[in-house]
Amino acid sequence: MARTGHSRAFVVTIALPLLYLAGVSPDAPASLTLVQEARAVVGAPLTPVSVAGVARRTTRRVVVAESSATQASASTSATAQQQAATAQQQSATAQQQSATAQQQSATAQQQQAAASRPPGAPAIGTVVSALPAGCKPETRNGVEYQNCGGVLYRAAFQGNNLVYVVQ
Amino acid sequence: MTSTTHRHLTAAVLRCFTVGVLTTLSLVAQAQSAGIAPEAKQLLKASTDFLASQQRFTADTRNTLEIVLKSGQKIEFNSTGRQSIQRPNKLRSERTGDLVEQVFVYDGKSLTLANPKDKVYAQVAAPGTLEDMLDFARTKLDVVAPAGDLVYKNAYDILMDGVTEGIVVGKAVIEGVLCDHLAFRAPQTDWQIWIEQGAQPLPRKIVITTLDLPNAPQFSVTVTKWNLQPTLDAKTFTFTPAAGMKQIEFVQH
Repeated sequence: MARTGHSRAFVVTIALPLLYLAGVSPDAPASLTLVQEARAVVGAPLTPVSVAGVARRTTRRVVVAESSATQASASTSATAQQQAATAQQQSATAQQQSATAQQQSATAQQQQAAASRPPGAPAIGTVVSALPAGCKPETRNGVEYQNCGGVLYRAAFQGNNLVYVVQ
Repeated sequence: MTSTTHRHLTAAVLRCFTVGVLTTLSLVAQAQSAGIAPEAKQLLKASTDFLASQQRFTADTRNTLEIVLKSGQKIEFNSTGRQSIQRPNKLRSERTGDLVEQVFVYDGKSLTLANPKDKVYAQVAAPGTLEDMLDFARTKLDVVAPAGDLVYKNAYDILMDGVTEGIVVGKAVIEGVLCDHLAFRAPQTDWQIWIEQGAQPLPRKIVITTLDLPNAPQFSVTVTKWNLQPTLDAKTFTFTPAAGMKQIEFVQH
């Protein structure tokens, strides 16, 4: 689904750990713009606020390298390979089933959403760090949403940051 | 005083100053080529051990965070905070600044993150110790307690992980307190710490320079007040949502 130019500017990459800039307040528009620009620039963690935070990124890279090494050594054994292949097949079947179920569910959601969503609404699941103008709170099934011109947003914490997820 | 004498004096002062600076610089240069100076290790270990031995404390802090814009321009954001810690499993951290007003509460069973101005909070079950909770918050929720490294009982190991160089820069005064100034280098980060001299080797300031981001932005925490005998009660570590606050979810991995 196409996003409007306006909302695209506010999209926050999901893979941003260590964002410390929580609770961007609506009365600080200049700061907000700067922070959003900064997020867009680095596309990676912003200034880490702990040494462990920096170390963690190192650890992640090391873990990735180690796990590929393990896979390489396992592949030298034919038996292990066969077992792995069987397991993979089983897993693939399960994944397919799950994927089919997901598709069905997604289709249902889309159909449901398409009926009520305005044209040009941002894609479901889009994460934004600020709501568009003119939103009104709306409670559905005990959950509070923000209704912004017919598009529903739900507040959530992504790391330390308050974000809004398009429903 | 004649102007000649005055000039002589000024020149003498300048010479002393220059010699002093050069001596310091040459000491720094010597130390840099020598890996991690044992004195730097000792001073850091004494500080982290001292803090690990404190069962309850509060620290008031002043934080600065640099953000690098697309143009390369750096912008600094400021906040102040208060951290209350009771080992082994209680923490409260409050921060207020130009970008953030946030409360983080851990009661030994669950952790809560709240933005009072936005009237929202999120709560999840958390591991049973401070160290495990901080790991959980960082790895599962991407929630970070600024300078939380220092709270860990094994803070020394966390800080020194990957460090290749360390020096004692010299003496410094932070918030009126005489400190030893240490500087360390690791592959992705340079960091400095100022440790109080004397019987209570408390960290007074820490600066983290991130080397693998454009223009190497810095984060700094200055402790404006330590209290090693604070009045903390159950209320400190219990989160009670204010009227009108709504509960929201964490986006988990």
